[in-house]
Amino acid sequence: MWRELRTLAAWGPRSLCTAPGATIFALSSGRGRCGVAVIRTSGPASRQALRSLTAPRALPLARRASLRLLCDPRSGAPLDRALVLWLPGPQSFTGEDCTEFHVHGGPAVVSGVLQALGGVPGLRPAEAGEFTRRAFAHGKLSLPEVEGLADLIHAETEAQRRQALRQLDGELGHLCRSWAETLTKALAYVEAYIDFSEDDSLEEGVLEQADREVRALEVALVSHLQDARRGQRLRSGAHVVVTGPPNAGKSSLVNLLSRKPVSIVSPEPGTTRDVLETPVDLAGFPALLSDTAGLREGVGPVEQEGVRRARERLEQADLVVAVLDASDLASPSSRDFLDTIVAPLAHPDPSGSSPRLLLVLNKSDLLPAEGPHPQPGPHPHLLLSCLTGAGLDGLLGVLKKELAVVCGDPSTGPPLLTRARHHHHLQRCLDSLGHYKGAADLALAAEALRTARRHLTQLTGGGGSKEILDVIFQDFCVGK
Amino acid sequence: MFSLRGRGLWVAASLSRQHLPSARLSGDCSAPGSPHFDVVVVGGGHAGTEAAAAAARCGSQTLLLTHRVDTIGQMSCNPSFGGIGKGHLMREIDALDGLCSRICDQSGVHYKVLNRRKGPAVWGLRAQIDRKLYKQNMQKEILNTPLLTVQEGAVEDLILTQPEPGHPGRCRVSGVVLDCWGLNQVLHAKHKFYPGRGFTSVVPPPASQAEGPEFDGRYQKKKKKFYLCAVLPNPMDGSAVHAESVILTTGTFLRGTVVIGLETHPAGRLGDQPSIGLAQTLEKLGFVVGRLKTGTPPRIAKESIDFSILNKQTPDDPSVPFSFVNETVWIKPEDQLPCHLTHTNSAVDAIILENLHLNSHVKETASGPRYCPSIESKVLRFPNRVHQVWLEPEGMDSDLIYPQGLSVTLPAELQQKMILCIRGLEKAKMVQPGYGVQYDYLDPRQIEPSLETHLVQRLFFAGQINGTTGYEEAAAQGVIAGVNASLRVSRKPPFIVSRTEGYIGVMIDDLTTQGTSEPYRMFTSRAEFRLSLRPDNADSRLTFRGYEEAGCVSQQRYNRAAWMKSSLEEGISVLKSIEFSSSKWKKLIPQVSISTSRSLPVSSGERKVQALAPTYVMSAEGVIFVSTLATSFCILACQKQQQAPSSFCTGSH
Repeated sequence: MWRELRTLAAWGPRSLCTAPGATIFALSSGRGRCGVAVIRTSGPASRQALRSLTAPRALPLARRASLRLLCDPRSGAPLDRALVLWLPGPQSFTGEDCTEFHVHGGPAVVSGVLQALGGVPGLRPAEAGEFTRRAFAHGKLSLPEVEGLADLIHAETEAQRRQALRQLDGELGHLCRSWAETLTKALAYVEAYIDFSEDDSLEEGVLEQADREVRALEVALVSHLQDARRGQRLRSGAHVVVTGPPNAGKSSLVNLLSRKPVSIVSPEPGTTRDVLETPVDLAGFPALLSDTAGLREGVGPVEQEGVRRARERLEQADLVVAVLDASDLASPSSRDFLDTIVAPLAHPDPSGSSPRLLLVLNKSDLLPAEGPHPQPGPHPHLLLSCLTGAGLDGLLGVLKKELAVVCGDPSTGPPLLTRARHHHHLQRCLDSLGHYKGAADLALAAEALRTARRHLTQLTGGGGSKEILDVIFQDFCVGK
Repeated sequence: MFSLRGRGLWVAASLSRQHLPSARLSGDCSAPGSPHFDVVVVGGGHAGTEAAAAAARCGSQTLLLTHRVDTIGQMSCNPSFGGIGKGHLMREIDALDGLCSRICDQSGVHYKVLNRRKGPAVWGLRAQIDRKLYKQNMQKEILNTPLLTVQEGAVEDLILTQPEPGHPGRCRVSGVVLDCWGLNQVLHAKHKFYPGRGFTSVVPPPASQAEGPEFDGRYQKKKKKFYLCAVLPNPMDGSAVHAESVILTTGTFLRGTVVIGLETHPAGRLGDQPSIGLAQTLEKLGFVVGRLKTGTPPRIAKESIDFSILNKQTPDDPSVPFSFVNETVWIKPEDQLPCHLTHTNSAVDAIILENLHLNSHVKETASGPRYCPSIESKVLRFPNRVHQVWLEPEGMDSDLIYPQGLSVTLPAELQQKMILCIRGLEKAKMVQPGYGVQYDYLDPRQIEPSLETHLVQRLFFAGQINGTTGYEEAAAQGVIAGVNASLRVSRKPPFIVSRTEGYIGVMIDDLTTQGTSEPYRMFTSRAEFRLSLRPDNADSRLTFRGYEEAGCVSQQRYNRAAWMKSSLEEGISVLKSIEFSSSKWKKLIPQVSISTSRSLPVSSGERKVQALAPTYVMSAEGVIFVSTLATSFCILACQKQQQAPSSFCTGSH
């Protein structure tokens, strides 16, 4: 399904050309033995399919669950007693006539019903993602909604689910559409000014109105683009990189957070030499946890390569968890780490592109129970013992807060841009609006607005020149 | 019984019921001796004349069939050609060697380019045209076109045969059945009736309202006589015309109805009979038919208007000709006529709103245009607003004024009352009332981009029959239909203009893919590729294709376009050869903002700056271009560098 959706996004209008008329069917629930399995059909022959499997009973009421005995239409052999739903289009998921068979989930029942459906004239098995494609083709789902649906199906953490559901509800699509409407209106004003201002009576200030709309839209786009890819991180997981000097307990922390033995742990410095990745659910947020080699100089070529990879990974990080041995802060390797890695991250450059930092002092169990705790310079830090688990709750709390900043909170605020595609088109749209303001020739200015609008409508689909004319004629009294 | 081409005048040939001139003897013709043409064009309006002339230019023996030769070239609505978007179409028609642009350069009385301040891509060439001159010049042109025969007659039916294999379509058209001889007798009897209008000369149509209905009444009487004539032996014998291709350009004549107030009478145009038999034929063939309406304003006596209190608009000096082959127009700017502007007011609104019950046209379900609306629709949709009325001259020696914007279908006496409320028209005398026309059109989704119908092979439609409005839209389709009808005869591939190449392509693509629910008019906003589809480069876009692929362009025009093209290329290479640093450019042309993001030296034409005395300079994305003649090709050059075609891709189709 996922691959299918991606090609769908690339295809766009071509998917509208899928031959109508064919009725498709497929098992919609997961494969394997289960209590209930759902089989769906979509297309004009759905009615026929339902009637022939439930004969001699009449068609059930629309959108009401009814219990029916399913029989093979050819042999008449009973297949299962099932709940059936008749969902006439266009008020259905795909916009076509649909039926659903909720059958018992045994493999024999499912294959029997699928075979019976395959025998009904006009029905064929659905291709992957075809139900969704039909929904898109019939205007039931916009492109962001399709993407949201795919994300919902693949959501693994709580925050991902919330974001996907919001996107499926069309929030991002609505937002883009409302922007596109604003832009259509501004463009219509400019186009009306070009086509009608000389010959017909347009009211005053049409161009100024367009300028105002464009300025307001620019502000909205800029603030939205500042979300800095939080939606994308939430969708594909934030990069959390665990780093530190050798033997500080990085691998122990990774194993603790992922609740499984990802990395080999030993007292020997330089045990981890490669980057080890594991996806984890950290307090509802998806994270890609990377365990890296301890940073030190003057070791063998293999470990040196590991150190190089560790530094590379640091550059891609959204959140850096710096781990130090609390009992060994004064050692040269710890001091060096604090100076070269922690200090620059603690004072990020104002552009906001550098990752956030969390400083963890491990092996708190080795510290004396009383007395002054060691201070790693001026940086805020957390005390943790991977051995005893002390301080873990505090760490998780702080991690959740940090991830919420990095990924954004999906349940509040404006809908996030979940894909690079969204970011790209919005940025291009903004660039074009800049060209609009700079153009001296009104035809060139209008071209910039057209380009901007095209980028917005590529987010949601649609957007022909006919819509502009509709606005022109709705808003202006034009004509000779 | 033959056309007297080359002498400027043409005898209405079919008066006596003999055979039409046979263009060539046809071997496969079912009725031996019956006339046979390559292309038969039905209708002598703007689409029909262009179609017939285009087919003849392409080398086809062509017959133009029209109700009346004396209405060829008639401008039945506004006395103007061109405008924003429409001017683009006229340049493209001219680039394909069409007629109307050249005729307008010989017949205008007020030339003005609209949108001068908005960039060369959206300049709108426009002119007020002298109706009488236009008609005279067009008739002269049509009647002198080699290979083109003109014949009066009404087409009642199509002759259909087996379809050709390898082409879509249920059947193939192989000619038309005329209902002409009796009708012509009636018409010419009428001509005899009025002394001085012999049928051997071109006569004007009934010009005033006083003459129109009267003429109608007499016609009805004569029509009975015509039916008596029709029972004469073998009337079909002389009325079949065989053709390889047929183009229908019936305008508003398919079941046309003229509406004034609550009165309606069948007519394609005030004073002209509608085509009913043909409409039935097309419907029987399975064409989907829709209904549209349009309207025209009343005409006002010039001497009864007080122009002294109104805003005056003067023509451009110098005039910009429509045609690429003309350096100038026939008339000097100082001899041209002015237009005047006035406005409606609340008293006009009141008259319209109080009398809606007397106005059947406005209430009808047929769709009217949103962009050339009647004053009634403007008042209903945008109440309490003032609407512009342009007072346009109808010709040099015409005593009529056309109030553009006052299209109305109220009963005549109320129209007069309404006119008197308007500033400057307080003492105005209405000479002919405004009226509405409702007519059948055929869903243009039933035709190919070549304008050939899906259903009937070798049958082409052009003009208002496809749901468009406007002379220019009709003429543009006429050229395309004429060219393709001719190409079809010689079994060559169709000549199709894409929407990336011209407004003609935009229009035909819109019509054939999306259809239309209102009369379709051209706007620049319909064109996705507006920056490259400019009036100034129509020749470089279409003339070469028209010459090479269609054969509709004369050698002379081709040579001229080729010369222009090489001059432009030379100019561009000169411009490109001049390179300065951006700081130097800034010094030379301080008013231009130059992007410094490009480190390479920016090249442009300093020599052009000196040679051509630029009207303005503009920059886009770091490329500077200099204007006057250079404007056009510089934009072109800029687009070629900056924007690959893929960046223009839109989601509209």
